This record gives sequence, C-alpha cells and structure tokens, in this order.
Amino acid sequence: METRPKIALFQCKWCLYSQPDQNWVDNDLPSSMYLVKLPCTGRINPLYILNAAQGGADGIVISGCLPEKCHYKEGNLSALRQHEEFLNFLDYIGYERSRVRFVWLDLQDRGRIQKELADFEAEIAKLGKAKVLATRTNVSPGGQYA
Amino acid sequence: MPELTTELRKNIEQLLTDQVVDVVIAFKKADAPLRPQPAFFRNLEELEDLEYNGLCQNNLANYLTRYPHDTKIGIVVRGCESRSVNALIVEKQHPRENLYMIGIPCQGILDIRKIIKKTGEDVTGYSEDGDQVSVVYEGKEVNLQRSDLLHDSCLRCAHPNPVNADVLLGEPLPDGDPTIVRLAIEEFEALDRDERYAWFQKEAERCIRCYACREACPMCYCTECFVDHATPRWTESDISQAGTQAWHIIRAFHQAGRCTSCGACERACPMDIKMTYLTDKLNNDMLEVYQFETGMDDNTQPPFASFNLDDKNRFVI
Amino acid sequence: MMYILEKKNVDQTLSEWSAKYEVYTPQKVEAYSQFLPFTESSELALNEPLNTRYPPKSLFLPQSEVMLKYNKRLNKFDEIKILPEKRIIFGIRPCDASAITLLDTVFDTDEYQDPYWTERRENTILVGLGCSEPPSTCFCTTVGYGPFNQDGLDALMTELDDVYVVEILSDKGQKLFSNFPASSKDQEQSVLNIQLKAKDLMEPAFETENLKQTLDQLFESDYWSEIAESCLGCGICTFLCPTCFCFDIVDEVQRNERIRNWDTCMFRIYSQEASGHNPRPTRAERTRQRLMHKYSYWLDHIDKIGCTGCGRCVRHCPVGLDIRAMLRAASNFEREVVNVG
Repeated sequence: METRPKIALFQCKWCLYSQPDQNWVDNDLPSSMYLVKLPCTGRINPLYILNAAQGGADGIVISGCLPEKCHYKEGNLSALRQHEEFLNFLDYIGYERSRVRFVWLDLQDRGRIQKELADFEAEIAKLGKAKVLATRTNVSPGGQYA
Repeated sequence: MPELTTELRKNIEQLLTDQVVDVVIAFKKADAPLRPQPAFFRNLEELEDLEYNGLCQNNLANYLTRYPHDTKIGIVVRGCESRSVNALIVEKQHPRENLYMIGIPCQGILDIRKIIKKTGEDVTGYSEDGDQVSVVYEGKEVNLQRSDLLHDSCLRCAHPNPVNADVLLGEPLPDGDPTIVRLAIEEFEALDRDERYAWFQKEAERCIRCYACREACPMCYCTECFVDHATPRWTESDISQAGTQAWHIIRAFHQAGRCTSCGACERACPMDIKMTYLTDKLNNDMLEVYQFETGMDDNTQPPFASFNLDDKNRFVI
Repeated sequence: MMYILEKKNVDQTLSEWSAKYEVYTPQKVEAYSQFLPFTESSELALNEPLNTRYPPKSLFLPQSEVMLKYNKRLNKFDEIKILPEKRIIFGIRPCDASAITLLDTVFDTDEYQDPYWTERRENTILVGLGCSEPPSTCFCTTVGYGPFNQDGLDALMTELDDVYVVEILSDKGQKLFSNFPASSKDQEQSVLNIQLKAKDLMEPAFETENLKQTLDQLFESDYWSEIAESCLGCGICTFLCPTCFCFDIVDEVQRNERIRNWDTCMFRIYSQEASGHNPRPTRAERTRQRLMHKYSYWLDHIDKIGCTGCGRCVRHCPVGLDIRAMLRAASNFEREVVNVG
C-alpha cells in the first residue's frame, strides 16, 4: 500500500477566519499531516522549514494572512521576504521549490485550507519522496558515519 | 609592498601619537612567511612588526565586535573589510565616531593554498612587487604571477576600494567586473538539480564542524549561535549529513544581505570546503530583488531587517 | 628482524590484506590526504610530504559515535556494541601512533576502560611510515619523539629507493609480515642512516626543560590575553590535534540516540555552565587551557608532554598562531617579568 506523503503545515493562528476551519485543522488533520501552529508567519524561522524537511516532511505548507491584514501589522511582510529568498536558496542547492507552498488566506476563503492541502498532497504524491537534503535518519551501529 | 607598509606604519604612528585611537587593528609579521597575523597595536615600539602584503588573509572587521563601544579603534581596511565595517555600524556593533578606517585599495588577497600547490609547504621567504610574487622554496627562488594566486573570491571582487574610509593610502583601483560573479552563479544554476545537490553534498559532508568559518566571519558575532543551543536543539550536533548540511545552509542564509563576499570563511576552512558559491548567490539575489549591496554606506538597513508595503504585489494568492 | 615490501607490490599486498582485514590508508581527498578504507579504486597518498590533515585518532575515537539508542515510550534502551573487526592502519606517521599511546593513558587505565576504545585498539595493527624528510612545521624531536619513533607501532616502514624496509616491533607485526622477503645488511645500514639523518634535520623549536614551571608561573599573567588576542576561537587546532580527546555526550532527542561528539576547549560553550556562568569567559582562558593541558597538566598525570609535534595546529591555524612561537614567547615573557620585578 502506498503511504501518504508526509506534510508539515505551519499555520499562523490568525489566518483561518472561520471557526470550523480552525477546528478541522486542530482536530481532524489526516495523520500524515503535522501541524505547527504559530502566532504569525513572521515567527517562522527558516530553520523551522529546514527542520521539517530534514525531519522527513515531503512537503511543507505555510499558511498566513494577506498583506495589510497581519494581526501584528507587518509580520507577514518580513516573512515573505525571508521565506521567498530561503526557498530560492534551497532551490539553488537542489531542493525542489515546489515542495513548499504558501497559502495566503483572506476573510472569504472559507474551507479553502482543506482544498489546498488535498491539492498539495496530490502534487507531492506525484513528486514522490523527497530525496534532496539528508534527513535525520539513524546512523549505522558503531557510529560509522558515512 | 614595502612602500605601502612604510606609509601605513607612518600613518599608524601618527594616530597613536596624537591619541586619535586607543588601538589599531592591522597585521604583523609572523615566523612563517606565508602567514602574517592580525595584530593589535597600542604603542609605538610594537610597530616594527607591522606588515602588509597580499597574504594578509583575515578580515580584520572580525575583531571590531570584541571591543566596548567607547574604545576608539583604528582599523586597516581593504574593500571588503570596509564594507564589513559599514555593515557592522548599521547593525550598531560600534559607533562610527569611535572608528578610524585606514583604507587600502586592494589588489586581491593571495590564496596560500594556491602558492603551496605550486611550490610545496615549506616556503621560507616571500616578497611581492607589482604583478610578480616570488617565494623561496627549498633555498630556491620561485617567481609566480600574482594573478594566478588570487583567492577565488578576490577574482570575483567588484569593489576593491574601501568605502567610507577616513584616509586612503595609495591610488584607487578601477572597480571590478560585477558580471563575473553573476556568470559563476548562472553556471551553477545551469546544472541540473541532482548535480547541484551532489556538489553541495560533497562540499558539506567534509565539514568537521570546527566553526572556523563562523569565527572568521565579521558578521557572525552572535554570542550564542543556533548550533550551540541545547534546548531546543535546532540541528544535529554531530557530523552526520543532516547536521553538516543544516550548518552550511543556515550559516550562509544568516549572511543574506550581510555578507560582503570577502571569502574569509573559505580561507579559514581546514577542509578546503567551498562556501562562497552559497553566499554569492544570496548576495546576488539581494542585488537583483532589492538593489541592495552590503556595506556601501553605513545607514541602509539590510533587506531582511526592513520591509516595504510594495512587497505585497509579490504575494501569490 | 627487517623485511622488504616493494613499492610496486603495495597495492597488491593491501588488497590481499583487505580480504581478512579492514585496511585504512592515507588517500587523496581534494588537496589533502585522509585515512580511508582501502578499495581497489583508492588513490594512495603514502609519500605526501605532509601528514594526513584529519588525524587518525578518528579511527579509534570517531568524531561522532552512537552510544545508545533509546525508546522513551517503552522506557528502555539498547547499548551499541561495536563489532570487533580486524583492522590494519597502513602508513600512519610515528607522531600519530605515539599520540594514540598517549590517549591509551586516558581511555584505557586500571580504573576506567572505554569499551569502544579498547575494542578498537585490540583489533588494530598499526603499520607506521617514518618521515625521511620532516617538514619545517613539524617539531616531534622537540617534545621527545622523533620522525622514526616506534611508540605504539606494530611495524615501522622506512622508504628506501623503491622499497619499504619494515622493522618489526611486535608479535602482531611479525605475523603480518612473516611471509615477506628479509632485508639485506646493506639495506638495514642505509635505513639506520636515513633515520639518523632525518632526526638531525630537525632543530629544537623551543625549550622544554623548565617549560612546565614557566607556564605554571604565568597562569595569572597577561601573557595569555596577549597571545590569544588574534585567536578566532575556532576548533581547528584541537580537532586536527592527534592528542586532543575531549568529548561531549549529547542526546539527539529527535532520533532517540545518545551520541558522543568531539568537543574542544576553544569553544565558548565548552565550559559554559547551566547557570550562565562561564569560568573561562574569554579566548585567553581557553587558549591557556589548551596550552597548559598539553605542556603542564599532562606532565602532572603521566610525566609526558601531551603533544607529539605533528604540526597540524601550526599549519592550519587561520590566523597563523604558531604553538612553537607561543611557547618561546612564554619563556621570554617570564624572563621579562622577572627582570622588571
């Protein structure tokens, strides 16, 4: 049986405007998806993205608020600058950029997060397991580091 | 460059006598002719040991952050160093009024490894004159072309002249060609994904995590580096691939908009790991996207420390 | 007893050995050499003028090593036992071999035995290669060793034209080389000459006689902040050092393993306490620790200098700090202080 690709979801806690959506993300996320809830996309250190990739995530979703709608005024603006460049950089050393998706949500985007995640999962399933970037897998006994 | 050294010595002598500065950061002769050392001059007697030549391979701006803000520091700067100093001023690491920059238009730093490759380890003498470098190896003089020995990052250098220096020793040099670095990046980008990753992997896996790259870098002045954190632990602490790759990725990324491409990291590395291809890419992106070059003045914030509502057009919905 | 190993037969001999042993030899990596397992495609770097850059202590004390695997939920753990595997380290330089005997006094004492270390030591044969032309950055004779020192080796090779003349130094070595042709009297004489000549080539780099007393007296002095002013605080000197053995045991919680990594006294976090206090707050104290450990504290423990003069720290320091010059400066510094006082 094909296992579902592992997906890490970094979610700004303000970006889902509807309570049912938030409840779904909090409680009903499929077991192959991992939720990291943050106060703002501006709180996402590029290290988190790298950690997710090295922890074995095949795809990463970052969901946040639109520009000028940030709860903290400008968190998402600084996030955009950093994450865009970080992905450019990861792409430069061989990591597929398409494994990371930004989802910027607005007030009327009720139910969109489910659709985006399903769509992204299908896309990642097509790409297959991530091969680029070494994962934190165990090292062989005796500490023989390859 | 004996004339330049003499001029430099005269200059520093004046600064110390007039008590314009408390300490001057420069280079001094060491026992091994190929390795001049960073030195800290506080009184005139020590100045005899002063040395300046193409082998002075460290970025002296690195030592700036070790001093309290009220220390008046004189510092010998070349193009890249002056820009590192400017970037440190922007980041409020030392006030500009307590700094005195003695600028030297830089003809490029020589790569010791390239010299050793051409002769052998036991070089016992060194002198340079214009384009010619001569080293003494096993009692014999070997003449070499300076241009063959330049460090890779100096071959790509676009700004050899110090920016914002208080005094400039020697004639300013013509600016370098900025397309060279872009071509190098484009060449790397033209490789396919697997090749790029294979290259990155090959370089990163030789890392022994001695953090010489970090310590040699003027912009790596955090008192606690992300790899030193025990809780939470951000990366693997060992030399596994995951650990070394994370180190190389994040170290380079923390330099985005702050690196001046001086190449001190690469010259310090004991395992000959290439690193500038990472930071050059980031610098180039900063230039293309934000029209920002590090350290060209001492008040513009780097792109990641500032943001602009105009960015909103780039949100893809 | 001495035997002959012809240079043209080295590859074949190594591949014969690799049927029974894991054979490590210095091999070319980029511009330097490093000990790696021998395979048919290996590019040997036996006659490099310089020693391997990465020290062979890593073959006994790997830079990172898994010690335990644990499962927090089941509340149990598995100790990692290393598989005893017969090994030959071929072409190790005498300084590195004597460094390993120094490390024996740390990892294999009457009180404590490190199972990883002892297991590997027992199963390893060290075939050394002496240095006929020691480079100027080496100073083994100064610290009481030599370019043909025999400590820790099972056999020592001397390069002679197109052969290696092998001196047997232990039973293990005897077993390994017993099938090889014996050397002639002439060859043995030339080997002796080469060895003496190599030793004469090396001049004493600093005084060792009263070095310990000198350093002990300087403990509180300004000398340390003077020499450490340009120190970057990286780990090159200690990681490349064949006698540095500090390690740090870390739990990698994300992969449920307890591992042991090399550590170095040159890092700030080495002596950082949980409270935030650091007894060695600046690079001066850390440099003091490195020098004093090698040239004073080792003498307290085993009455030997903890440095074998391989010169790696001299060659690879990014700011050109030379341990020999530092120690010379120590002797001079003391004299100055005494004269002024």
